[in-house]
Amino acid sequence: MNFANITPILADTMTLAEKSISSAKVILTGFVVVFVVLFLLIFIINIYGFIIQKATQSGKKKKEKISEPEKKAPVVTKAANVPAAPAPSVQDGISDEVVAVISAAVASVSDSSSKTRIKSIKKSDGSRSAWANAGILDNTRPF
Amino acid sequence: MEILQGFVDAVVGIVKSSGIFTLQWENYVMIGVSIVLLYLAIKKQYEPLLLLPIAFGMLLVNLYPAIMAAPSTELLTAEQCAAQNVAIEGHASMIIDGVTYYENPTYGGLLYYLYQGVKLGIYPPLIFLGIGCMTDFGPLIANPKSLILGAAAQIGIFLTFTGAVFLGFTEAEAGAIGIIGGADGPTAIYVTTKLAPHLLGSIAIAAYSYMALVPIIQPPIMKALTTKKERSVVMEQLRPVSKLEKIMFPVIVVILIAIFLPDAAPLVGMLMLGNLFKESGVVDRIAKAAQNELMNIITIFLGTTVGATASGQNFLTWATIKIIVLGLIAFCLGTAFGVLFGKIMYKLTGGKVNPLIGSAGVSAVPMAARVSQKVGQQENPGNFLLMHAMGPNVAGVIGSAVAAGVLLNVVG
Repeated sequence: MNFANITPILADTMTLAEKSISSAKVILTGFVVVFVVLFLLIFIINIYGFIIQKATQSGKKKKEKISEPEKKAPVVTKAANVPAAPAPSVQDGISDEVVAVISAAVASVSDSSSKTRIKSIKKSDGSRSAWANAGILDNTRPF
Repeated sequence: MEILQGFVDAVVGIVKSSGIFTLQWENYVMIGVSIVLLYLAIKKQYEPLLLLPIAFGMLLVNLYPAIMAAPSTELLTAEQCAAQNVAIEGHASMIIDGVTYYENPTYGGLLYYLYQGVKLGIYPPLIFLGIGCMTDFGPLIANPKSLILGAAAQIGIFLTFTGAVFLGFTEAEAGAIGIIGGADGPTAIYVTTKLAPHLLGSIAIAAYSYMALVPIIQPPIMKALTTKKERSVVMEQLRPVSKLEKIMFPVIVVILIAIFLPDAAPLVGMLMLGNLFKESGVVDRIAKAAQNELMNIITIFLGTTVGATASGQNFLTWATIKIIVLGLIAFCLGTAFGVLFGKIMYKLTGGKVNPLIGSAGVSAVPMAARVSQKVGQQENPGNFLLMHAMGPNVAGVIGSAVAAGVLLNVVG
C-alpha cells in the first residue's frame, strides 16, 4: 500500500497575522479579478450583441419593405371549394417540414368531402396560450 | 497426507490474505458509508450519475485497498528472487554493501491507472467539453448583466477560504475547500488535484453532495433574503439571440479569459470548444460524441476513481468533517451573495429583475435555475423564471472557472 502521497497534513504553522494577510489577499484578488473579468465580458457581449442586432435589423427592414404587410390573421384559414390551391404564404423562418406537418394536421381533422386550403402560416406573436402555459408548468416542475 | 497438508496451507493462505485479516475498522465504516451513498443514489436519486460510481469506487477501495496502490519497485536479493519465483534475467541490478539486489517492479492497481486522468487534470476539462456541448448561452447573451450574478455567487468561495485558513488548513488546502462554494464538480476536482490532492475524496464528495442537495439548501436562504414583492416580479421576455451571436460568444470568451487568466484556460477553453461544436452546427457528430459517449465514459472513470480516494484511513479524519461544514458554509454564502446582488439589481432596475435568479449564480446547472423557477412559482404560479435564471446559471460556470483560475494563481 502506498498512500504516502495522499496522507492528510494539517499544518497549522501560520501565525494569526499571516492568516489574516493571506485571507485578505485572496478575498481582495478573487473579488476584483472575478468581477473585472466578468464585467469585461458584459461589456464585450453588449457591444457585439448591439452590432449584430443592428446589422440584422437593417437586413430585416429591407426584406419587410419587399414583402406585403401581413395582418395578424389566424394561423390557418379555411376556404371551401377552391379549385386550384395556390401555395400558402409562409412566414420566413418556418421550415418546409413544419408546413407539411400543419397541412397534414389540417387535412386529418377537416372533412374530406369539402376542400380545404391553407392560406398562410405565421408564427404567433409570442404570448403563450393557457395550454402552452400548462405544458411549461408541467415540464418545469420536476421535484 | 501431503495433498491434505497442501490443501490446508492453501486455505489458510487465502483466509490470511482475505479482507477479514487485512482490513481495519476504518475500512468497515467506509463500507457502511458507501452502502448508504449507494442507497441515496439509487433510491433517492441524488445525482445518481455521479454518486453511484463514487459510492462504488469507495466500496471497492475499502474492500481491496490495493486497487488504488501505486506501482513500486522492490529490491530483492538473488535468494529472495528464487524464493518468490522472480526471474533475475532482464532486471536492473545494483550492488549495495557487496550484495547484489535486483529491481523487481510491482504493478499498480486498476483504479490507480484510471485515477491518473484525475490526478493529471485531464478528466475535468473533458467533462467541461461535454457540458459546453449541452449548454445554451443564449439567455446569457440576451441578458449579459446576469454575469454579475454569476460573479457574486463566487464570493462565497473566497470567504470560505478565510474560514478554512483560520481553522488550520494551509493556503492551498483552503483554496481547494473554498471552491466547493462554486458548486461545480469538475472545477472543484480540477482545483483540488492541483492544490491539495490528499483532500480530493472529501472535497469531491462534499461538492457533489451539496449539488444534489441544492433544492433543499437554497430555498430557505432565498426566502429569508427576499420580500414577497420581490419574489413575485415577472421579468420581461428575453430578446431572441441570433445564431451569429451564439457562434461568436465562445470564441470571444475564450480569447478574453485565456489572455487575462491563463490558469482558467483549460477549463474555460474546453467549455467553449464544446459550445462552439454545438453552435457552429457543422460538426454535429463531434458534438454528439462529446456530450454523450465521451462525457459518459469520463464520468465513469472520474466517479469511480474519485470515490476510490476515500479510503477509510484517508477519509475518516477531522479534516473531512471540517471540509463538509466549510463546504456547506461556502455553498450557503454563494447562494446568499447571488440573491443579495439580485436585490441590488432589483433596486437599480426599478423592480424589473427578480432577485430569485441570483441564487442560480452558483453553477449546479440546471438544478439551481430550476430552484429559482420553483421558488418564484410558489409566489406566482404564472411566473416563468427558468430562462432568466439560466443566464446567471451558465454565468456561474464561467465565474467558478475564473475563480478557480484566481485560486490556482494566488495560492497554487
